[in-house]
Amino acid sequence: MATGGGDTGNDEFYLRYYVGHKGKFGHEFLEFEFRPDGKLRYANNSNYKNDTMIRKEVFVSPSVLREARRIIHESDIMKEDDGNWPEPDRIGRQELEIVMGNEHISFTTSKIGSLVDVQSSKDPEGLRIFYYLVQDLKCFVFSLINLHFKIKPIQS
Amino acid sequence: MAAVTNADVEVVDFDLDDDDLMDEDAAAEPSPAPAPASRLRSAIAGDDAPRKTKGRGFRDDPNSSAPRESRFGAGGRNDFDSLGSPIRSIEGWIVLVTGVDEEAQEDDLHNAFGEFGQVKNLHLNLDRRTGFVKGYALIEYENFEQAQSAIKELDGTELYNHKINVDWAFCSGPVKRRNTRKRSPLRARTRSPPRTRH
Repeated sequence: MATGGGDTGNDEFYLRYYVGHKGKFGHEFLEFEFRPDGKLRYANNSNYKNDTMIRKEVFVSPSVLREARRIIHESDIMKEDDGNWPEPDRIGRQELEIVMGNEHISFTTSKIGSLVDVQSSKDPEGLRIFYYLVQDLKCFVFSLINLHFKIKPIQS
Repeated sequence: MAAVTNADVEVVDFDLDDDDLMDEDAAAEPSPAPAPASRLRSAIAGDDAPRKTKGRGFRDDPNSSAPRESRFGAGGRNDFDSLGSPIRSIEGWIVLVTGVDEEAQEDDLHNAFGEFGQVKNLHLNLDRRTGFVKGYALIEYENFEQAQSAIKELDGTELYNHKINVDWAFCSGPVKRRNTRKRSPLRARTRSPPRTRH
C-alpha cells in the first residue's frame, strides 16, 4: 500500500481546505480539516435565509487518512505552486493547506467557476490539478459527513 | 462481542469553548518555528522538523480574509498509539473499502458486501476528471456484526483482480501514549471539589 511517500501510517499528515466569501449574507464558507490524530472537522456557514453554522467533528480511522493521502499523492499537487494562480478576490477565496512528510503547502487562489477559468489562467496545468483535487476531496469528505451525521452538506 | 460496548461513544458537535482550550494548549508550547509559519493557521504547532514550504499562504497578506481562529483551533498531533475502536454513525456502521478498481460497478459491490447484511447505503464516488471510480467505496450496515464480518471476510481479498482493503471508517479517537502532553490545567479547573455531606 506504500504510496511513494514511504510509510503512510505515521508520517505527519494534515489537510485543510477552505472556500468562502463575504457578501450580502455575511461570511459564507465551507471548511474541512483532517488532523494528524485523525480528527475530521467540518464547518459550513451561510446566513442565507437565516441559516446557521453547521459544525461537525468526528475521528476517522487510519484507513480513511491513508485514502486521503493517496488521493493527494496521486494528484501530484505537492509539485505545484500557486505563484501564477489567480489571487483571491472579492468574489471569493480558496485555501488548501497540506502537510505530508516534510512538505508543507499552503495555496490560495480565487474561486474557480469552471474549467474555462482554469484554461484562461496563467497556469492551467497546475490550476487544473488543484481544481480536480479539491472536487475529489470534497466528494470524499461530503460522503463521510453525510454517512456519519446524516446531513447533506451544501456546496458553498 | 466486546467491541460493541463502544457503540455508546458519543460524537458531539464541538463548541467554541473547547476550541479555546485547544488554542491555549497549543499556544503554551514554545514554537521556535524554523520554517516560516503559515499565515493561515497550521494545526501543526510546535513541530521542529524543517519543512519545505510552498505557497502564498505563507506570505503576509493584509487583504486576506478574517482571522480563522474563530473557526478551527490548532492542536491535534499524531502522538498516539492507535485511533481507538470503531464507533457507530447516526444510522449504522460505516465501512471504507479501498483499492476499488476504477471500472467497478455498484452492483458488484452490493453483491459482495450484501452477503454480510443489507447494504443500507453505498457511496462509490467517481474521479472528477476521468469519470472512473476514484478507488474507494463507503458502505453502511445496520449492525456492528454485519460490518465486522464484512471487514473480517473481505479485507485483503480481490475484486476485479485488485486487492481491496476493508476497514472501519470512524473510530473513537486516538489513544494517547503515556506521558506525552500533560493535560491542560484549565480542564482540571472545571471539576469542582467533592462536596461533603452532612
